[in-house]
Amino acid sequence: MLPNGKLSGALRYWAERWQGVLLSLVVVVATLWLALSGQLGLYIHPRYFVFTIAMAVIGLVLVGAGFARRRGFEVERTGRIATTLTGVGVVLLVIMGVAMVVVPPTTLTSATATQREVNSGGLGTEDDTDQAAALIGTGDFEQLSVREWVSLLAQSSDPGFYADKTAQVTGFVTPDAQDPENVFYVARFVVTCCAVDAQPIGVPVYLPGWQAEYEIDDWVQVTGRFEPSVSAAASDPLAITPVEILPVDQPKDPYVY
Amino acid sequence: MGGQFPPLRRWPFGLTVGVLVVLAVFVVRALSPAFVNDQLSDFQLPDRVQDTLTLAISVIIESVPFVFLGILLSAVVQVWLPHGVLARRLPRNPILRRASISLLGMFFPVCECGNVPLARGFMVGGFTVSESITFLLAAPILNPITIITTHQAFGWDGHILVARLVGGFLIANVVGWLFSKHPDPQSLLTTRFAAACAVGSTSGHDHAHARESRFSQTTEIFIRETSVIMPALFIGSAVAALTQVFVPRSVLLALGSNPVWSVLAMMALAFIVAVCSNVDAFFVLSFGSTFLPGGIVAFLVFGALIDVKMLALMRTTFTSRTLVQITLVVGLMSAALGLLVNYVA
Repeated sequence: MLPNGKLSGALRYWAERWQGVLLSLVVVVATLWLALSGQLGLYIHPRYFVFTIAMAVIGLVLVGAGFARRRGFEVERTGRIATTLTGVGVVLLVIMGVAMVVVPPTTLTSATATQREVNSGGLGTEDDTDQAAALIGTGDFEQLSVREWVSLLAQSSDPGFYADKTAQVTGFVTPDAQDPENVFYVARFVVTCCAVDAQPIGVPVYLPGWQAEYEIDDWVQVTGRFEPSVSAAASDPLAITPVEILPVDQPKDPYVY
Repeated sequence: MGGQFPPLRRWPFGLTVGVLVVLAVFVVRALSPAFVNDQLSDFQLPDRVQDTLTLAISVIIESVPFVFLGILLSAVVQVWLPHGVLARRLPRNPILRRASISLLGMFFPVCECGNVPLARGFMVGGFTVSESITFLLAAPILNPITIITTHQAFGWDGHILVARLVGGFLIANVVGWLFSKHPDPQSLLTTRFAAACAVGSTSGHDHAHARESRFSQTTEIFIRETSVIMPALFIGSAVAALTQVFVPRSVLLALGSNPVWSVLAMMALAFIVAVCSNVDAFFVLSFGSTFLPGGIVAFLVFGALIDVKMLALMRTTFTSRTLVQITLVVGLMSAALGLLVNYVA
């Protein structure tokens, strides 16, 4: 009955009986642990928290039932699972399964920010601009976030508009693509669904030789005013001339939603 | 006596093992990050490896709840509803029948990853192959959550919502109609799944599992479906993550304002980003100012039906040849729709 010999039959049985249950177990535990430690936001948008946690609890019950089930399990003989199981597939599944449980959760890095190009998503919805405009009305410019400055900058690059406004923004350091020597971005990732769609946004800061003091991916709080960019190469017409740059801890919610 | 009651004595053993394994994984998880942070703070994966992992995990964590929901609904169709009850109530005329099937998603809002187990459940429960394909392609777009989120993101601007709904409906029905002309529909399925269907329709759940409780059958469906879907999801997510880390997105974004290229670029983006149809409207909203509306529509229609992760999931059920055909037809129709919006609307 076993076309590929006993070993492959056993393997096939084991795979059909356990691989789904075990992979589900890994995902459920990873999800619940992230939720308990308040880190679920590193991977998905908060609007899915309730649904995701609820389904993880249901999944945990089903995984328990999967372990408890003792009825003989019939394995189809016609499949080619033995082939899919071998080689790359198994290695990849094991690596990913182990990584999900072992590797500490973290944010995306500058590597992805560079690859996706800061501010390339054309961000700046009407909501952001309205919000920014409302805050500007109050004169409280230091309350404006990276996101709000970015949407303002997308609307207007008139230096006069920014002349009397001091910005104070927090984000991670990522180099400007055109002029990495002199300009870096204070950047954040905007997440609309999950980390996979994260869009980097950032405010340019003009500081020649910044690499000597700050490393890529360091979190900083930059204070200063927007002035016409001195850098000839940089693509942004305006950049912050920093008055103060403070190293800060990564915020609890590193992404912007 | 022994024949009737042995389960009672052995029941707790598997459950005990299960609870212990769950606890063990929790403990490993709870200890791991502390270990890396405290004692090996220099230990760090290279950025790109780390990001690939983060991206893959985020796709998995986002999709798995929908997969579980899809499997549960599939179990409802197979175990809890009388056999073939859905199939019997639908219109007989094949075109009307597929049209009604494409609206079933209104009652099963599981988005595309959860649709795969559900469509498998429908096939076991008596749907034809072309009917299931129609459901698979229509349900990600024609379901309440997708409609609400698309409306939230775009309102009635630029006919995007209407184009998405009408386009999704047309594509699903045209593809369903094409495959209904196939002389041997079973050959569209993987041999493994065709065999599972044959078992389902001949023995049914009435005979083979007559003595089993419905909860027990649900568990069996969970074990079987996860054993097929979860590996596909993991591998699909890994491919999606690798593509994202190594294919520069700027290449695509440079093409935004050309009526033809904006459509093709957004379809390519949809293919590699692999975001769920329930939420992709928010994602693509941020491209609204860069790309022409036709590109957005093509993204919302094509991406909801076909992407890297979906192909891996659908491969559990359909042959590669079938998937190439589906992808081609869906791709051509989405592109045509996008161009129509760009040039006419």
